Amino acid sequence: MTKYLEYQLKEIKDTYLSYLGPPFNEKDFSPPRPNTTALSLPSAATRLELWRGLENRARLAQNQRAYSVLLAAVRELARSTLCPYLQTSLLHFCTGLDGLLGSISGLMTTLGYALPPPSAVSVGGSDGELQEPRRDGFWILRELQSWLWRSAKDFNRLKKRLRAH
Amino acid sequence: MANLVTSLCCVVLAAVVVAYAQKRSQLVGRIQYERMGSDVTMQCGSLDNDASVSWKVNGTDIKARHRLEGPRLLLTQVDLGHNGLYSCFQNPHGERRDTINLRIGTAPREPTVTCRSNTYPKGFYCSWHQQHSTYIPTEFEVDVHHNQRALEVQRDPVHKNRCHVRFPEVFSSFPYRVNVTAINDLGRASAAISFEESNIVKPDPPERVVATPIPNNVRRLEVTWNSPSTWPDVDNFPLKYFLRYRPLIRDQWQHVELSDSTSHTITDAYAGKEYIIQVAAKDTEIGTWSDWSVAVHATPWIEEPKQITSTTEADPVIETKPSPAPASVEPHLGEAPAGGANRPLSISSTLVLGVLLLLFM
Repeated sequence: MTKYLEYQLKEIKDTYLSYLGPPFNEKDFSPPRPNTTALSLPSAATRLELWRGLENRARLAQNQRAYSVLLAAVRELARSTLCPYLQTSLLHFCTGLDGLLGSISGLMTTLGYALPPPSAVSVGGSDGELQEPRRDGFWILRELQSWLWRSAKDFNRLKKRLRAH
Repeated sequence: MANLVTSLCCVVLAAVVVAYAQKRSQLVGRIQYERMGSDVTMQCGSLDNDASVSWKVNGTDIKARHRLEGPRLLLTQVDLGHNGLYSCFQNPHGERRDTINLRIGTAPREPTVTCRSNTYPKGFYCSWHQQHSTYIPTEFEVDVHHNQRALEVQRDPVHKNRCHVRFPEVFSSFPYRVNVTAINDLGRASAAISFEESNIVKPDPPERVVATPIPNNVRRLEVTWNSPSTWPDVDNFPLKYFLRYRPLIRDQWQHVELSDSTSHTITDAYAGKEYIIQVAAKDTEIGTWSDWSVAVHATPWIEEPKQITSTTEADPVIETKPSPAPASVEPHLGEAPAGGANRPLSISSTLVLGVLLLLFM
């Protein structure tokens, strides 16, 4: 199962990399991270000891929660984009992300872990809209990149732990 | 009474020590750093403007162009040749009044800074250097920031121009900013670099690469290696490897990429040819490939040429070594064939075998 996830992850990563075009990819461009109240993104960053010590359930749950939020964020980004090509690409990307999310949820169910209740996931303001689409878009994709990188390591660890049992 | 005497002795001793220290610093000289190409003024102690002094450098007369103005010595457009210990002597009695160690140099320029993590996810190190020498002692200050927080920087105990930083967290989206300032008596200059955690990861090359021939396989070589010992957690942060090999007689390399495996069997080696083999490593997700490992040489197994005898029984053959091999590899030829008389070879068969070997070259 985790091998399948890793494969999907790679596909999504490649799709994403073909995206790092304008307007998000200017050299050394790093806008200030939006205030958490305006744009709440799940951070992939974690202390090493905490990450190592994560139980399988918690590890999967963190991934599941992160991609739920990020999926909603990318959908919102697609909605607020004016460029049709970019919009199509982002929506296509969302399909992949949705697939990944489905796989994670499926794995959790298979392992007997309860899925979190499907709460209203919103990244933007109270109406779900992004306050500053360009800056927010940058951070959504940046955090997504970190999560994809982290997930590969998460799944590798899960694979080893599940094999050991 | 005894206490008074002891205290008095201590005071006298202290005075003697201070006087000696002062005299000693006069002999050794206070250091005066001056910019290359500038005009320099050296002041003889705290003498009045109408004082008359004479100067010597390193005990000899000053040969460079200079001017005297009372207690001051003036040098113009100084260069490294002006370095030295300058002493001034008050006229007419010639008492030494001051000693100045003149050191000519330049202000520092922006250092060049690079950072790398070969111990991911533990930490990273940064090194810096000056493109041009300043000729005078120059120190460096380093500060590292991440997500608006200053990180603790450990200076390397051995390498003066290196420091170590632990990663405060992993999988971070925030860049790190490293600022190095070069400081000396003539000025300061800073350089800063910014990078993301994932971009600076570069493992050390794989270690203990060993290539061995496989008995009875003329086209195979088995290669094994170890992950670099500096990589702290190969279970949770696995490495993938890149192996390249070529026969010595060819220039073109063949490449194989391997995930999570520290061995590989080459199956398409040219029989009888010596090969050169190297391996590189990379984190499975991020960063760049390591440098190539130390090269190892190996030759695939060659069948032992049989000794021609008049009897049909096979005599034990004499073992010979092929081309010289480095210490890490011990190519060995096949053992004496088992079973004694099972494979008697005629002269014509030997010739056919020799021709076949030639064809493979």
